[in-house]
Amino acid sequence: MSHVNTSDWYNSLRQELECNSLSIEKVSRRSEYWRKSNLDIVSDLVQEISETDLINLNGTHLYEPELTIVGDIMELASGKSYKISSIMDEIADEGSFTKNYFGKLEEKSQKLVPRPLARDNSLSPKVGYALSLPESSKKPLVIHNKTKTSVNNCFQRNLIIVNKGVEATIIETGNNLSVFNSVTEIYLDENAKLNYLDLTGENNIFPKISHKFCDMAEKSTFNHFGLRLNTKSTRNEIELHLNGPGINTSIANVSLINKKHHFSDENVLINHNAYECKSRQVFKSVLENDCTSIVRGKIYVAPEAQKTDGYQSSRSLLLNENSRFLCKPELEIYADDVICSHGSTSSSLDKESLFYMLSRGVHKEKAKEMLITAFISEALDEIEDEGIKSALSNYIDIWTSNFFHE
Amino acid sequence: MANMLNIDDLKVSLEEEEKQIIKGLSLSINPGEVHAIMGPNGSGKSTLSSVLAGKDGYIIDSGTVNFDGSDLLEAEVEERAALGIFMAFQYPIEIPGVGNMNFLRTALNSQRKTRGQEELNAADFLKLVRGIAKDLEISDEMMKRPVNVGASGGEKKRNEILQMCLLEPRFVILDETDSGLDVDAMKLVSKGVNNFSSSSRSFLVITHYQRLLNYIVPDFVHIMVDGRIVKTGDKALALHVEETGYKDFLQLGKEKH
Repeated sequence: MSHVNTSDWYNSLRQELECNSLSIEKVSRRSEYWRKSNLDIVSDLVQEISETDLINLNGTHLYEPELTIVGDIMELASGKSYKISSIMDEIADEGSFTKNYFGKLEEKSQKLVPRPLARDNSLSPKVGYALSLPESSKKPLVIHNKTKTSVNNCFQRNLIIVNKGVEATIIETGNNLSVFNSVTEIYLDENAKLNYLDLTGENNIFPKISHKFCDMAEKSTFNHFGLRLNTKSTRNEIELHLNGPGINTSIANVSLINKKHHFSDENVLINHNAYECKSRQVFKSVLENDCTSIVRGKIYVAPEAQKTDGYQSSRSLLLNENSRFLCKPELEIYADDVICSHGSTSSSLDKESLFYMLSRGVHKEKAKEMLITAFISEALDEIEDEGIKSALSNYIDIWTSNFFHE
Repeated sequence: MANMLNIDDLKVSLEEEEKQIIKGLSLSINPGEVHAIMGPNGSGKSTLSSVLAGKDGYIIDSGTVNFDGSDLLEAEVEERAALGIFMAFQYPIEIPGVGNMNFLRTALNSQRKTRGQEELNAADFLKLVRGIAKDLEISDEMMKRPVNVGASGGEKKRNEILQMCLLEPRFVILDETDSGLDVDAMKLVSKGVNNFSSSSRSFLVITHYQRLLNYIVPDFVHIMVDGRIVKTGDKALALHVEETGYKDFLQLGKEKH
C-alpha cells in the first residue's frame, strides 16, 4: 500500500480491520459457507482470449457503457449523466463523504459468515468508483468491467449511495482476464429504489468473487438480477439488511452453463430486521456437460421483524448425469407472525413436453431451447423494466440457440 | 391404389417390463379412408398410436410399418410429423412458459423447413391461425396463454384440432379424442375433423365408444382385443359393440392364441 496515497481515516480503519482479518485458506477448509466452492486458479488457461462479452455478441451491442473499468483504470464516457468519482481519490481525501460509509457494511457482513476475501478487498483496494445518486434517472448506468492479464488480483471497491426517493438502474457487464475480487457497498435511503443487473458473460476464465452488501432504509427497494453465462469459477455474495418497515426486495438469478466443469456459485443472505418487509429469491440454473451450480439462500428474521413475507425458490434443470445442483435454502426465524417459504427442485427436461413438441414437428434442439427459455422465464419476470427484460431475453435466446452445439 | 399406411404383423413390447402389448397386428389404410379402432381397456389401442407417433418406451419385436413406402419406424418423431403424420393426444400436454402462438408458429415453420418449403411470415401466420381458431370457437385469450395451460378438457381437444388444421397432415390419429368431451364440444371437434377431411387424407380414430362415430363416420371399424385386430367391419360393427359390449370379441381374442 506504500505507493498509494491514503487519508488518516482510511489508515485507522484499515488498521482496525487488519487485526481481524482471516485467511481464505483456513476459512475454506473449516467453514461450510465456503466448502464446495471452487476458486482455484486454472493456470493452463492464462492466455489472451477473445473479447466477446455481454456487451457485444455476434456484433450486436446490448448496451453502450458509460463507465469502463479496464484493470485498474477507470474511463468515463463523455456526456456522462452521473456523478462518479474514483474510490482511490476518495480514500485519499480527509474530507471525503465516503468516510461515513466505507467498510461499514463489509464489517457487518462478517457477523454471520466469514468473508475473508471481502476483508482483503477493504485492506487493499486497487480501483473502483464512488457513486452518489441525488436524482432519479430513467437511463440505466452501464458499467463495463474488463480486467487485464497484466493486473494480478484486481481488487475493485465500489460505493453506491441512493438518496431519498431516488430511483436508478445499474447494469454491470464484462469479463475478467485475471483474478477479480469486488466489493460494492450500497446504501439505500428512504423510498430509494435500485435495480441492479449483474451480467457475467463467457470468458470469465479466472476466479471472480463479487460481493454486494446493502443497507436499506424504510420503504426502499432493491432488485437484483444476475445472469451467468458459462462462468468458469465465479462466486457472488449478496447480503441485505432490511432496516426499516415496508422494504421490498427481489433477488433473481439465471445460470446457463454448458462448458465442461464450469461453475456458478450464488450466495444470498437477507436480514429482515424490521416489520412488514417483503423479500423474494428466484434462482434458475440450467446445467449441461458436468457443470455445477451452487445456491445458498438464507432468510434471517429478527424478533422485531413481524409480518415478514419471505419467498425463496431454487430450481435446476440437469441436462446430463454428472451435472450437479448444490442447493442450501435456509430459514432462521425469531418472529412468530411471518410467512416464509422455500422450495428447491432438480429435474431433467420434461419428456412428455418434449415428445409433444417433437410430434408437432419442432426440431429437437429447438424444442429443448424453448423448454429452457420457459424454465428460466420465472426469474426473468422478476425484472420490472419491460425494455430491459425483453432485450435480455432476446439476448439469452440468441445465446441459448447455441446451447446444444458445443 | 398404393396404401398410405401399411402395418404388417407388428409386435410391440414395453421397454420397462417384458410385456408384449401388440401381438401381431396388420392394417392397411388408403388415402381418403377413415378407419376406427375400438376395443376394451388394455387392448393396445393407445400403444399403437404411440408407436406410430414415435414415442419412446416401446420395443418393436417384429413386423414393419410403412408410410408412403418408406420405413416409418426408422424415422425420428419430428420427421414423422414433417412426413404428414399427426396424433391428436388423448391427454394434451400443458407446457408452462411456452406461448401457444410461438409454439404453433415454430411447429409450422419447422415442418416447412424440413420439407424444404419457405417459412411463413408473422402476418400470414396470424391470419391463418386466427381463421382456424374462429371456426373452432377458440378465444384470443386462449391463444395468448402458454400451451394448454389453464385450459379445460374441451379447450385442450379443440386446441389439438386447431394444430391439425394448421399443420395440414395427411394422416391423422385421433387418440380417444372423445374422452372428456360433452356433446357440444364433440360436435365442434367432429365438425373440425370433417371439414378437414379430403380424398387425400386418412384418419385412424381410436375410441372406446360408438358415439364419436356418429359424427365422424368410419369406412372401416376394427375391433382390437389383446393386441390384435379380431374383427373388421363397417360402421354397423360399431353399433353392434354399443349394444352388446366387447364380451363376444374377448372370446375371439382368446381363440386366436
